Amino acid sequence: MASEEVRRSKAADLKVVNQPVRRRDAAEKVAGTTRFSGDIGPHGLVHARLVRSVVAHARLVSRDVSAAKAIDGVIAVLLGEDVPNNEVWVDVPGQETEIAALKASMQVLATERVRYQGEPIALIIAETEDVFAAAEQAIEIEYAELPGVFDVQAALADDAPLVHDSGNLLAEWNISRGDVESAFAAADVVVDGEYYSQAVDHAYLEPEAGSAFLNDEGVITLTVATQVVEHFRDVAKILGVPHSKVRILAPYVGGGFGGKEDMTVEPYLALAVYRTGRPVRMVWTRQESLVARAKRHPMVMRYRTAAMADGTVLGHDIDITADSGAHAFLSALVLLYAAVTAAGPYDLEHVRLRSRVVYTNNAPCSAFRGFGGMQVVFAYESQMSRIAQQLSMDPGDIRKQNALRVGDSLPVGQPIETEVLLGATIDAVRAAAGPLPVPSHADAAVGRGFASNIQPYGRLVWLHDTATAWIGFEHDGSLAVRIGVQDIGAGQVSALAQIASEVLSVGMEDISVHFGDSARTPRAGTTTATRMLYMSGNAVHDGCVELRDHLLGIVARARGVPVERLAMVDGLVRSADFELSLSEVVALAVRGGEVIHVHHTFFGPTGPPAITDLATTRVLPDFTYGTHLADVEVDTRTGLVRVLRYVACHDVGRAINPVTVEGQIAGGAVQGIGQALLEEVVVRDGVNMTGGFFQYLIPTSSDVPDIETIVLESGEGLGPFGARGIGEPPIGPPAAAVANAIDDAIGVRLTRLPMRPESVWEALSAGELPS
Amino acid sequence: MTGVRTTIVVNGSDITRSGPAHYSLLRWLRDLASVFDVKYGCGEGVCGACTVLVDGKTVSSCLVLAVQVDGRRITTLAGLAGADGPSALQEAFIECGAAQCGFCTPGMLLAATEAVASGELTGRDDIRSALHGNLCRCTGYQAVVDAVESVIGTVEPTRGF
Amino acid sequence: MYVRPFDYLRVDSLEAASQALIEQGPGSWVIAGGQSLMPLLNVGLAEVDILVDISRVRGYADVTYTNELIEIGALATHRTLEKDAAITTGAPLLAAAIGHIGNVRVRNVGTIGGSVAHNDPAGEVPLVLAVLGATYRLDRGVDTRSVAAAHFTKGSFETVLSRGELVATVSLPPTQLGSGWGFHEFAYRPGDFAVAAAAATARIQDEVVADLHLGVTGLGGGPLRCRSFEEAALGAAPADLAGLEHLISSDFGYVADSVESSAYRSHLATVMAGRAVADAVRRSMAAA
Repeated sequence: MASEEVRRSKAADLKVVNQPVRRRDAAEKVAGTTRFSGDIGPHGLVHARLVRSVVAHARLVSRDVSAAKAIDGVIAVLLGEDVPNNEVWVDVPGQETEIAALKASMQVLATERVRYQGEPIALIIAETEDVFAAAEQAIEIEYAELPGVFDVQAALADDAPLVHDSGNLLAEWNISRGDVESAFAAADVVVDGEYYSQAVDHAYLEPEAGSAFLNDEGVITLTVATQVVEHFRDVAKILGVPHSKVRILAPYVGGGFGGKEDMTVEPYLALAVYRTGRPVRMVWTRQESLVARAKRHPMVMRYRTAAMADGTVLGHDIDITADSGAHAFLSALVLLYAAVTAAGPYDLEHVRLRSRVVYTNNAPCSAFRGFGGMQVVFAYESQMSRIAQQLSMDPGDIRKQNALRVGDSLPVGQPIETEVLLGATIDAVRAAAGPLPVPSHADAAVGRGFASNIQPYGRLVWLHDTATAWIGFEHDGSLAVRIGVQDIGAGQVSALAQIASEVLSVGMEDISVHFGDSARTPRAGTTTATRMLYMSGNAVHDGCVELRDHLLGIVARARGVPVERLAMVDGLVRSADFELSLSEVVALAVRGGEVIHVHHTFFGPTGPPAITDLATTRVLPDFTYGTHLADVEVDTRTGLVRVLRYVACHDVGRAINPVTVEGQIAGGAVQGIGQALLEEVVVRDGVNMTGGFFQYLIPTSSDVPDIETIVLESGEGLGPFGARGIGEPPIGPPAAAVANAIDDAIGVRLTRLPMRPESVWEALSAGELPS
Repeated sequence: MTGVRTTIVVNGSDITRSGPAHYSLLRWLRDLASVFDVKYGCGEGVCGACTVLVDGKTVSSCLVLAVQVDGRRITTLAGLAGADGPSALQEAFIECGAAQCGFCTPGMLLAATEAVASGELTGRDDIRSALHGNLCRCTGYQAVVDAVESVIGTVEPTRGF
Repeated sequence: MYVRPFDYLRVDSLEAASQALIEQGPGSWVIAGGQSLMPLLNVGLAEVDILVDISRVRGYADVTYTNELIEIGALATHRTLEKDAAITTGAPLLAAAIGHIGNVRVRNVGTIGGSVAHNDPAGEVPLVLAVLGATYRLDRGVDTRSVAAAHFTKGSFETVLSRGELVATVSLPPTQLGSGWGFHEFAYRPGDFAVAAAAATARIQDEVVADLHLGVTGLGGGPLRCRSFEEAALGAAPADLAGLEHLISSDFGYVADSVESSAYRSHLATVMAGRAVADAVRRSMAAA
């Protein structure tokens, strides 16, 4: 069968894929034998710790580390001057400047200026962690504080303090389709809304961690909790060494969510090894992670939406301002995703969007599950429900009426080429929800709301994404897969084994997957952008098909039968007349001097780079659609909101492992509920107030109800067997679903996240109380 | 600072180490005894990743000094499996997909084990209540509750560890 | 994670602990369950030179129950008290409040004496003990004194304990026949620190309030008795108590803005108080 045919297999034909197989990493994780990055390390490790800025914006007048260096047990204290290339430059794509593509820079260790609380200034390397406290206290840093700016509107003012000398405006994207002014003039209803989505922290259970050593060949070898082993290039650049002199391994990672997408400990581990020659470990404290690690971009989103009485939504005029914090990181791309998805999963004739991301002296913001596509859901799904109310229309009907279909395009011009099951997801959650729960006490009000979303999977097409896999048989008929995948908990590795097992009919227990090694496994790219199953899954799938066809060809020639008469199934190559075990087939191949492996690269779609005024035919490969429904109970006297029931439905194309898919949806939904109701990075005048798990509150098992998941399978994804990506999509709908439910319960429309009890109470006190 | 000699019975085996008195049990286990199935997650006693059982009761090992449990019996995740393999709860975790990234899993399993052993869990709300001290960022708790629920009523609660 | 190193001394008696604390001076602190102290040390918010460990001192972990008094050893863990029949029947308000403390791990090793001495202004235990009229026996070597809960607290995290003085026992009058209790707490998640909490006991006799105690916490400074409401409630019919709720906040004094606004904090405390009183009255009437 050709690759295309296999990809679109009916679910009924699949034996391993689409089955709830036990994940291969489950047994070891449940036994506690998995070695995470902080558990691994060579003998004689020393320890490294960063000294970070205590103020948000200042000139560094002096940095005196001499007393610290003299402390017994301290091996070295490094400053920016000790870093061979202390400036790290990032591209800021799509922004035109007079000279060249815009770039932004930050320092590995700040030398003259700090721009956020927590910015690294010095690196202590010591024999034991026990001297860290004394060493930190002995370091004298003199700050000359500069006025800081902590609010995006203030940052845009003419007289704003500059975070970077190039100006506070980092990047912009604009979209213009149709004629919004005429749409507003013609509209029967126009709804204005201003929405705010806050900074949140990834709060993975495993803090940033890693170790490094210098091997016998002078290769700096790092083991890091990372989503990107290919940062070895960036590390090499910082040290001024050839790329081949840095190697990064990623064991199983204890959660990423985008927070381990940029470099965290890597530059410091490498620097410590480079300068001292000693093997070193670094584990960030939770508190330092909560303060200094990059966050989700806060966004102010203004929407003006026009609709006709018959339910046609004419379009939006959208204005988004995002807070990049002190450094650029991935801000321009996050804003791009927000811009591209800002109109939601709907076919709208008129969309004007202006957006910008701005520097402030808050903690830097970067990748976080949803990557800009999450924040805008809160805005567009609140608007859709308000429009429905104004038109006295059912909120599901208005969404279905305006939903995208194959052949439509997003406002930016991106064509929709795969089936959109949005209406089916809406119907599914509403059917599953049953009757509204009864209020549990006299002061309680209950309500129901739902929200739909669109989230891309796969990387931006102009990045020319690829993933490469090596798949080879061993002489005994077992299989090895080598691929640079980073497994951050979503079963990325296990899924590849399932795919290989399905195509080559090798038992799961006979498949070894070697992953996450920048030197020894073929490059598969980042575990980000909901791309890994799509890209590496296709690489493994297509490589396995190639290998299968190659081996079938060998048997065909050896036995003189047409290859069409042969099938590889149940660990055998079978024809009408004979069957051979895979190990016999392999032996046959080896005897004939044939290879028994393939090395296969899957190429994602490509397209032209985006420019500030976005108008292009394709930005992203494809999208995942879904709807979530929430029933909430509001205590009308305290404002406390409890989610009583939650149903989530996504079209995942094909569920490679249904248990994994449901787990991703439930986990994303709960993380989204956390952002809706509980979580906020609170920074006052540049000082972080939520620097511990006592203050930064993530959902516990008592804070969420059962998350009922419904998985639809259109078979139309671009991934293996028709799969779509599911890692990011489930985090989009919760905030709007809960906001719509609160509105249903108490007639109050909350537009700022998180929807804290005090905000609910203030809104109730200001308006009329429900009877 | 001279070391303090501490003996702790870990999963049935005596381990004796000399170390600084200020070492938490978490640090003693990881840095001195090479016991890695207890994790550092926050140092505040909130996340539960460092959970161990001390004489059968869950404790945040980041909030207890090693010397305080000198001579006591502690159980880590490795101590849950019996001679014939993983415990029923561990099997249920695997079957239900209750471990995603796996980092919260050691603490979560010990907390769930204590809760099941109490004999007091009557349903999913009780389970959620019993586990609310163990944070998970990956699963949304759904599969964890499923796994624990599947075990209640099928295994005898026990009190000895 | 990166504590500043400190020394350790285990003692087997409270007297030895007192002596060590006096000898070692201000850099020495006592540790029992450690659930309040260790987080502070771990994140660098506190530093000590030496910890004096009383967690293995014998004779202070039990509950004794007589007609006159419930006496609780200071080293009794929260988990023990939550489950102990003497507490669940003789002081159900305390058992209910303890269930709100942290999570099971905290309660497995945290002690009542530790909560009393720590005196967290939002603490459930100091609140309930104030409402129940507890008395603390404080030992300092051979010296001992009894202090009523109301006089024990000096403010947030501050008590009358002098250096080397330790809480030895907590004594409570057992619940009166026909009495009811109520406890309500507002926290963002179960087990979190209380933003506001209220504890009440009430006894309805001959269809009017014969006795009523009401305390709130979370407003800063520790537990507060709502004396104006208590006085006005005496002799009132249960149905009229809702009409007196405006008196609850008259004893609040100055409430600052914190994470929550002053207005919201006061409002929450009032709501919790009203609900606690309603439950206490309901339980009293059901007990009759």
